Amino acid sequence: MTDPTPMLEVRDLEMHFPIGGGVLDRLKLDSKGLRIDRPVVHAVNGVSFRINRGQIMALVGESGCGKSTVAKTIARIYQPTAGEIRIEGEDIASYGFADMLPVRSKMQMIFQDPYASLNPRQRVRDIVAEPLLQQMKTAADRKEVPARTQALLAKVGLNAEHAGRYPHQFSGGQRQRIGIARALSVMPGLIIADEPVSALDVSIQAQILNLMMDLRDEFGLSYLFISHDLSVVHHIADTVGVMYLGFMVETAPRDTLFARPRHPYTRALLSAAPSIKARRDTEEITLMGEVPSALSLPSGCCFRTRCPFAWDRCAQERPVLKDVGDNQSVACHLIDEPERDRS
Amino acid sequence: MTTTDNTLLAVHDLRTYFHTFSGTVKAVNGVSFAIGKGEVMGLVGESGGGKSVVGFSILGLIDSPGRIMGGKILLDGEDLAQAGEDRLRQIRGREISMVFQDPMTSLNPLHTVGQQMDEVLRLHTDLDAAARRTACIEMLESVGISRAADRLGAYPHQFSGGMRQRVVIAIAMLARPRLIIADEPTTALDVTIQSQILKLMRRQIADKGASMILITHDLAVVSEMADHITVLYCGKVVERGRTRDLIETPSHPYTRGLIDSIPDPANRHARLKQIPGTVPDIRNLPQGCNFRDRCPRAQALCAEQEPELRPQNGAQWAACHYPLQPGDSA
Repeated sequence: MTDPTPMLEVRDLEMHFPIGGGVLDRLKLDSKGLRIDRPVVHAVNGVSFRINRGQIMALVGESGCGKSTVAKTIARIYQPTAGEIRIEGEDIASYGFADMLPVRSKMQMIFQDPYASLNPRQRVRDIVAEPLLQQMKTAADRKEVPARTQALLAKVGLNAEHAGRYPHQFSGGQRQRIGIARALSVMPGLIIADEPVSALDVSIQAQILNLMMDLRDEFGLSYLFISHDLSVVHHIADTVGVMYLGFMVETAPRDTLFARPRHPYTRALLSAAPSIKARRDTEEITLMGEVPSALSLPSGCCFRTRCPFAWDRCAQERPVLKDVGDNQSVACHLIDEPERDRS
Repeated sequence: MTTTDNTLLAVHDLRTYFHTFSGTVKAVNGVSFAIGKGEVMGLVGESGGGKSVVGFSILGLIDSPGRIMGGKILLDGEDLAQAGEDRLRQIRGREISMVFQDPMTSLNPLHTVGQQMDEVLRLHTDLDAAARRTACIEMLESVGISRAADRLGAYPHQFSGGMRQRVVIAIAMLARPRLIIADEPTTALDVTIQSQILKLMRRQIADKGASMILITHDLAVVSEMADHITVLYCGKVVERGRTRDLIETPSHPYTRGLIDSIPDPANRHARLKQIPGTVPDIRNLPQGCNFRDRCPRAQALCAEQEPELRPQNGAQWAACHYPLQPGDSA
């Protein structure tokens, strides 16, 4: 963590979405009289982390925890409500469309659904060349594009005859390879991968994960890897951040997190994951109930409504991430009062 | 295939084909298996393997252009493949019920949960309205839905995904069926909810003495739930055996490949073993063994002759000319 300018640094990122709807739907009558309610989805509530060059950071959590919103906000598909997003030290949080164009040569995204993320009316060679053409302004540079496109396709395991085909002529795994080639085309330092393998069959999933690891080694890429699949995360990540209801509840190096999870939610998540192993040695925390609505966050700790250890302090005071050594940080009051950990 | 007194469902040489303009899709092409009373069988494979079509075939839910072209589906000796629609209607929901993957689309959004539950009992039991209501409330409570009496009046959209899947399971269990076919029941759910639902299904099956076919692509889920596993590839059974045997000493290279593709925490940073290539087009399968183009053990014989399902070690069967022995590396 001594790299002076990490590839990506995110500080106190917040992303809130106002909910639309007609004025009449939002009229509320309460003790202060008639007013227009403005409901807000608190998708991301102050998330901070950094990714060094060549590192893979994974964000895990269940649906609705805000992990994909973090990815899309960093890619500036969304305009963040607050916070900093630094790409190689440059804060892009408030950049407009034109400002973002040069930044996009440093940061590209791979999407979950290989069926929806490729234009069905474009040939593969045009899909892969699109980001390059955006970046290259001189005619001399543009001459190189066809050759680079061929090289990129070869790099991801597709051959030259594939270049003239349309996306519907490919299987899911091959489409994901096209998406990866498109992301690689501008030689970015950072690739944001939002559930890149969860739509794929397990044998194809292994092919794509191996490809992503090979490309990391060859080009020194950094990945922000969003996934709900803990076995995939365990395989690919260097560091892991666990999110719940828009908060980062724990971050740690991969081995530390899987060997010694500290936050009750992380522990529950790890013990809930099914395994092909006959026996498991992880403690079993079974969570009751479901994730509360991001429209009205619980007071204090976001996890207290499902936490088996919660006590009155958890309702009053929101825990913040605390360093517990070995680069592990945990947002839980149990760190201060370990005697309450009864498991 | 041995059929004993304990056998609830025996499927013999089931063939379900879809006749399309671009050729005949042999989605299920000679599948046989048997399930004993109180047993859980996992039906595993990748997309296109035919596992869902097996489930739909058992319930007679194959629509045109699909047709069951051959084979027997014996439920306690009665052949469902020959049964008429009237008889199948009696069986669906009563003897055999189904839990679908997507709880968002398998409930009717226009009817309350109570109406949808009541329908099952109205069709399949002689209970009067009051007794049906009591049974529905008890069932909802047993799947972990609190304030069940109030929730009967709620519509599906008022429930979360996990709660909806509980409702679907409650409906499936209501008439005390002898067999439940669960088609990817937890694939759409988060992992903590998945573990709740799997526990619930295990308990319900044990309490009611029902059997289950668990259709899934997730070997981890199936290894925690099933007594034995049947692996499908391109519409055929490539391997079957007891769960622990099959996971620990797979005989078929495809099963081995599926298991090795799962990232193993004990062996991280090594490259994942991958199955090369992709599933072949099912309208245009290769000569001989369907898996040979992707198989590391394939030899000349595999291109000439299709392997038959043969006993390997003990209760394990595999369709392979060169099966793996325990201790072989892939």
